[in-house]
Amino acid sequence: MDGITGAELIRAAALLGAGMSMGFGAIGPGIGEGFAAGKACEAIGRNPDEAGLLTRTMLVGQAVSESTGIYALVVALLLIFVVKG
Amino acid sequence: MEDLTQVATYSFELFGRHMTVNTATILNTWLVMAVLIVLSLVATRRTKKRIPNPAQRIAEVYVSSMDKLTRETLETTSRSYMPLVATMFLFLVLCNWLGIIPGLAEPTKDLNTPLSLGIMGFFITHTAAIREKGIATYLKEYCQPFFIMAPLNVIGELAKVVSISFRLFGNILGGAIIIAVVSHMIYSLVLPPFLYVFFSLFVGTIQAFVFTMLTITYIAVATK
Repeated sequence: MDGITGAELIRAAALLGAGMSMGFGAIGPGIGEGFAAGKACEAIGRNPDEAGLLTRTMLVGQAVSESTGIYALVVALLLIFVVKG
Repeated sequence: MEDLTQVATYSFELFGRHMTVNTATILNTWLVMAVLIVLSLVATRRTKKRIPNPAQRIAEVYVSSMDKLTRETLETTSRSYMPLVATMFLFLVLCNWLGIIPGLAEPTKDLNTPLSLGIMGFFITHTAAIREKGIATYLKEYCQPFFIMAPLNVIGELAKVVSISFRLFGNILGGAIIIAVVSHMIYSLVLPPFLYVFFSLFVGTIQAFVFTMLTITYIAVATK
């Protein structure tokens, strides 16, 4: 045991950063998509005939609001696979 | 796990420069293109007959719904953007579905494919805006609300390309990684078919639709 070298420290920090990036980055899309789904449920309850259109609009809106979470995923993947200590 | 971000490459020297070709991505893209060409040949074969074959009926429904969608979003009667949009959606859907065949990888898993489609959309959007409004009005819009905001507007336009391509890339790569992790954990004894259905068929279709819709929306915003 010679203690932790610089390369190991960089690797550890990159892996920790990847986990933190994914954890914090998942909060926003989680709240946003749940909010969109709740509003869509309310709208379908009021207007059941338009359920198909509402579901389609909800899915597209959720896919767009998911993008911040996807950026967090890309950052996490860069930290895991690209940063070599 | 390390092979997730690696693709098969072929390197050569050309005019003193080092060129690298992602062979797996190129071959899978060619496969998708071949499937599209065969499908359209089948759909347009013997169209003079009184009773059309099933492929032609499906193609007619697809083309007319895409035409309606494009014209409603762009608020025009011109059909000039419909072929681009319909082809882009079909290409992306087939690319995202290719992962369910074992041994083949989605071309959209490589950042080069979404990024080149995003850059293509960027150039089409700005060419359409200049052609529609003239170069003076087009340049004047960058100085809204004041002249000092012009760099921010330029960065905003460039960020659209990054956002639209990284969204598609991240979704497809994330799905592929989750499938690989789950398969690794259960030693690939049972392939997780429901994961393939969710990530390839469901998410792939939605992301292809979102990419296409955003491209139309960017054109609509730029030409209005």
